[in-house]
Amino acid sequence: MARVSVTTSEEQAVVIPRSREEAVAAFGAGDGVTVMGGGTILMPELTSGRVRPERVLLLGRAGLDGQKEDGARLVIGAGVRIADLMDAPEPLGTAARRVGDAEIRSQATLGGNLCATAGADYPRGDLQAPLIALGATVRSAGAGGEHVEPVEEFLAGDPSSRLVLEVEVPTDRRGAYASVGRPHAHSYTILAVSGSVGPDGSDLRLAAAGAGPKSVRLDGPDGDPASSAGVALADDALASTWYRKKMLPVLVARVLSDLKENA
Amino acid sequence: MKAVGARLPRYDGVAHVTGRTTYVDDVRVHGMLWAKALRSPVHHAGIARFDTAKAEAAKGVHAVVTCKDVPKNVYGHLEALGIPADEPLLADGEVRWKGQPIALVAAESEEAAQAAVEAIEIDFDERPALFDIRTAGDPDAPKIHQWGNWYPHYEGGMDRRQIRKGDIERAFDQADTIVSGVYRPAAIEHCPLEPQTALVVPEPDGRLTIYSCTQALYFSMGVVAAHLECPLNKLKFVGGTVGGGFGGKVDTASETVTALLTMKSGRPVKWRWTREEEFLCSSTRAPWHMEISDAVTEDGWILGRKMLTLHDAGAYARFSPYGVTKHSFHHTGAYTIPNLHFDGYVVFTNRVPTTAMRGFGVTSVSFATELHVTRVAQVLGIDPFELRLRNANRIGDTSPNGISYTDPSTVPTILAIADAIGHELGAEYRTMSRDRRAGELLPEHLVDQVGSTEGH
Amino acid sequence: MNLTINGVEHELSSPPLGSLLAALREEVGLTGAKAGCQQGGCGACTVLVDGEPVRACLLPLAAVDGASITTVEGLGTPEHLSPVQAAFHQEYGSQCGFCTPGMLIATHALLQRTPSPSRGEIEDALRGHVCRCTGYVKIIDAVEAAANGATAASGAGA
Repeated sequence: MARVSVTTSEEQAVVIPRSREEAVAAFGAGDGVTVMGGGTILMPELTSGRVRPERVLLLGRAGLDGQKEDGARLVIGAGVRIADLMDAPEPLGTAARRVGDAEIRSQATLGGNLCATAGADYPRGDLQAPLIALGATVRSAGAGGEHVEPVEEFLAGDPSSRLVLEVEVPTDRRGAYASVGRPHAHSYTILAVSGSVGPDGSDLRLAAAGAGPKSVRLDGPDGDPASSAGVALADDALASTWYRKKMLPVLVARVLSDLKENA
Repeated sequence: MKAVGARLPRYDGVAHVTGRTTYVDDVRVHGMLWAKALRSPVHHAGIARFDTAKAEAAKGVHAVVTCKDVPKNVYGHLEALGIPADEPLLADGEVRWKGQPIALVAAESEEAAQAAVEAIEIDFDERPALFDIRTAGDPDAPKIHQWGNWYPHYEGGMDRRQIRKGDIERAFDQADTIVSGVYRPAAIEHCPLEPQTALVVPEPDGRLTIYSCTQALYFSMGVVAAHLECPLNKLKFVGGTVGGGFGGKVDTASETVTALLTMKSGRPVKWRWTREEEFLCSSTRAPWHMEISDAVTEDGWILGRKMLTLHDAGAYARFSPYGVTKHSFHHTGAYTIPNLHFDGYVVFTNRVPTTAMRGFGVTSVSFATELHVTRVAQVLGIDPFELRLRNANRIGDTSPNGISYTDPSTVPTILAIADAIGHELGAEYRTMSRDRRAGELLPEHLVDQVGSTEGH
Repeated sequence: MNLTINGVEHELSSPPLGSLLAALREEVGLTGAKAGCQQGGCGACTVLVDGEPVRACLLPLAAVDGASITTVEGLGTPEHLSPVQAAFHQEYGSQCGFCTPGMLIATHALLQRTPSPSRGEIEDALRGHVCRCTGYVKIIDAVEAAANGATAASGAGA
């Protein structure tokens, strides 16, 4: 069991910024700072002693929990609870409804889910795939100041060096979602496909959660959405690569069919 | 009889719904220390180097215990049933399963105890591990237990639980068909909501008060007294309030070590397992491997059964020999089979030792028997209800271990099920009963089966 | 850290990054909420924070400064059981009792916002609560009984 740093609870600093500006200033470049949104992912690590951070930034009062419509875009604060995303633009809404259970959803945040630990044992970033499918952008602060980037680029970087402020999603696309069933509310996602198309049915975007530690975009370079040849499919305690490989085209077909039907 | 059939309130109901039921973790004692365990990170290894000095010197630590602190480290919980001791309370020179406890620390906080555990210096010489019970007898299988790879201490020095009844070779000669199957139920984790927890309090008169979540207070008291080599009246067990056990809280898995920490520190000590420890290190229901071959006639009589059972006991015997014995007694299930050839082995592996869980030893063989009888029906093209009714236990039939049935419920139960789901039965089957066999229900091969067992 | 717990104000000195569960159990002495898994996976630690059911094991104490907490002890007493507590007792919705406090809190919150839930809505509300003893049927029966009792009571103007 690795420890991040040798720090007893008396020595841990807790910072509770009261505004977005305070949060950005307290985060700095992210060195030595551990961010906590709802706590649903981080608290078990603290309680068990697997993670012993020097400085924890609690974001619950930083005013990042608002949602604002801006034309055909919805700006969602990083601190928005997953429970408040259940009617978000599809497929984000459906994915949010499937996260954990009611209590978890009312504590967990969008930012926390986006930045979920990418270990093979902890595939918990279920909202990453719908955000990729929607073509969402992420505004974050950190070294070099604030910037906005597509969510796939954010995920390809190191989330611990960025403070997510808000996520922007389009409200004028159609979405669909299909997943392998989970035995119970707390089971991790084995495989779930999110898809969306523009208002005119073009610009198909597909993404998968559960294929690996982080969600991935699915469209092949040739634009063939069913092409999963390039997608690395995990082989783990939840499911084998063989099983995921069987299920991926099934889920993709369902999403495509739903997107056509809802036209 | 006033209580049977009446709706009586649970005596603990009001306490449960007001959050006042006191589980071990809810007991508050002044000056209590928290315990944490050093557990083996490997499946099978010798302990090459082991130094607890840094843990003993760590901040907030009041006691560290190892096998050296246990007056009687190896004690057989079922010695009274003839199962000799094989398992150390704390690992001594080697580890045989991942998660096996090696040392315990008592400190001012869980955090301090955990930090001290991580300060213990220990090196392992890893050894090959055995996980597949089917390979335990292979010439190149690693030898993982001082008794060999399976339990050798059944009566008469037998290395298996054996049942022989009637004439199995004749049954197989007379059969029209042999139907075979292999059944392999997996391990099951009890997963009680309450994790294993023990709290031990030193009393001024030298006794120990042990708050325990055990399902078996007197049994656990005996186990603790045996390990500590102390008289029973030194111990006061407080318990009976269990947050779920299902058979997984009879192993006395936490009380003894916690008592040692209390004795060494002079302070009350609580050891509360984490959920990870419950899932990874607590005993489970055993995995089984069962091979059944039934000699059957075209018209649906099961003349004889050959059965091989391999039971995965994990690293140590615990209650497994007893479980396999019960399993053997029930290996024909609800049906009467006059010719039997059963061998059951308690096989060791480098996995967490297995233990009792509801229906210990019997659920496995019920599962296998029911699936197998259905398979027989499918092979013969006979209705599975009718096949069952024909072979069902009746008054005067005998079990594999020679018990004569006085009131078996198989026939009425099957008829009730058929009725409930609207399954049509042939006329002769609809009128069957549990009465002693006679006429067509007593063919020649069943005539001598009453009282003809030679069980072991 | 200042909290109102079951209507009583408390000033707590437990570590700010320790869980609310640990503070309730160890500092305040309210042991109704249980440490079943400390990962949010079993529901036995559930309490109300400002009326919402949450996992006390997943909340750092610092995050609930100033909040109002309700534990199972605040729902009712042996002398005055709440309707939900009475229903669980009468319908045998509890065997070993370890999951019961969490179930009661979630049920209480459910019936506050949905006085006549369907069986599906009950299952959704309790979906995160594990019970290893009862098989859940009697728990759901108890919630329905509590809902029926409450509806009847409010119908009679009680």
